[in-house]
Amino acid sequence: MNGTSSGGASFDPSAISRPDRSLLKYYFLIALLTGPAFPFAFLPLLFKYESLKYTFDEEGVSMRWGILFRREVHLAYRRIQDIHLTRNLIQRWMKLATVDIQTASGSAGPEMSIEGILEAEPLRDYLYAKMRGARGEPSTATSAASGDDKPPAVASSDEALQLLCEIRDALRQLASAKEEK
Amino acid sequence: MRQGSEELTRWVYQGIWSVLSHWFRVPKQPPTLPAYSHETIESFRPSVGFLRYLKLQFWFLLVLIDLLVLVVWLVILISSPMAGVILALPALVIAVVPDLIAYVAIHLRYDTTWYVVSDRSLRIRRGIWVIRETTITFENVQNVKVTQGPLQRWFGIGSVTVETAGGGQVAPGGHGSHPGAGSHQGLIEGIDNAERIRDMVLTKLRRSRSAGLGDERLEAVRAEPVWRPDHLAVLRDIRDAARALTT
Repeated sequence: MNGTSSGGASFDPSAISRPDRSLLKYYFLIALLTGPAFPFAFLPLLFKYESLKYTFDEEGVSMRWGILFRREVHLAYRRIQDIHLTRNLIQRWMKLATVDIQTASGSAGPEMSIEGILEAEPLRDYLYAKMRGARGEPSTATSAASGDDKPPAVASSDEALQLLCEIRDALRQLASAKEEK
Repeated sequence: MRQGSEELTRWVYQGIWSVLSHWFRVPKQPPTLPAYSHETIESFRPSVGFLRYLKLQFWFLLVLIDLLVLVVWLVILISSPMAGVILALPALVIAVVPDLIAYVAIHLRYDTTWYVVSDRSLRIRRGIWVIRETTITFENVQNVKVTQGPLQRWFGIGSVTVETAGGGQVAPGGHGSHPGAGSHQGLIEGIDNAERIRDMVLTKLRRSRSAGLGDERLEAVRAEPVWRPDHLAVLRDIRDAARALTT
């Protein structure tokens, strides 16, 4: 797709929406391997390639494909259990990879297979960083992403204390005003 | 003489390895894990005992299969000497070629297996034809299994299987056609320090208070009661002020 991002922390998957063109070539080769069944193998793959769309946002990833039978898969980064990066020989030749993401559901196969991404390793490391447990304890984490942990809890209880103080003061004022009457 | 032949084997294997790793596009560097803080990242591969173990299995199978081929060929030779002579070369090919391939494959399997362990996660790379890298954070680990067969004990190796939530049988012929490819697990096989790896994963597993299902860490919030003493003091003041109002 865009060969500019070279991975690491600067990798931004939100730019990815379509698989790379070489995925079509890969599908073609895979279908060729089936021999006489080529048209039946290639047509669904062609449909899949033509309609495949990825959406990476802050919280999760979704993919959709299909022209006749449509499928959508959505999942949240936090629920990822394990990530598999798989490359067979043809994929290695074409610099492609399959990133399989698994959640804790019971299905044996991966819940989502992201194919046709040239920057598969940066993408895998991005997903890994978003996975639970990859970044360590929330209290030691300094990133803004961990804002849902200890600091807001303290802040809200302090806010509650402040509110209570205000209510008390208001009540005291009322009480003293009543006494003066 | 023996020294020389070993040297030669090593040279031949290195030649095969360099050609294969080039044409098969085998990654040259061992896998790494991205480091986010001061964590120690340790990468290792199966112990030498694992290689010996695989080779023992290989020799056992080799003798078994080649004996079978020999017996079949001898039977043919005795029943019809003409066919036996014609089939001598194919029989030799059947007996030798798979052995050579299997022997190289064992070394390739050993050389392409890598385990990377950091404080938070582990990554396993495995495979020759299909290279598969599995990444699991310890936070998501549900249980740890250690297995060791009698032969493996003899060679001083063991296997640690780290499993995450979500079952599912390994699909036959699919991803699971080679060892350790089971979907919700990471297999660290053939290591000589299985106990250490097990203890390391277990300490992390025990320290974690979550269910390992993607839930947020709640203990940071729960650690401190919502109503602190100063809250209660103000609440009592409020009650007194309210009483003063009503009387």
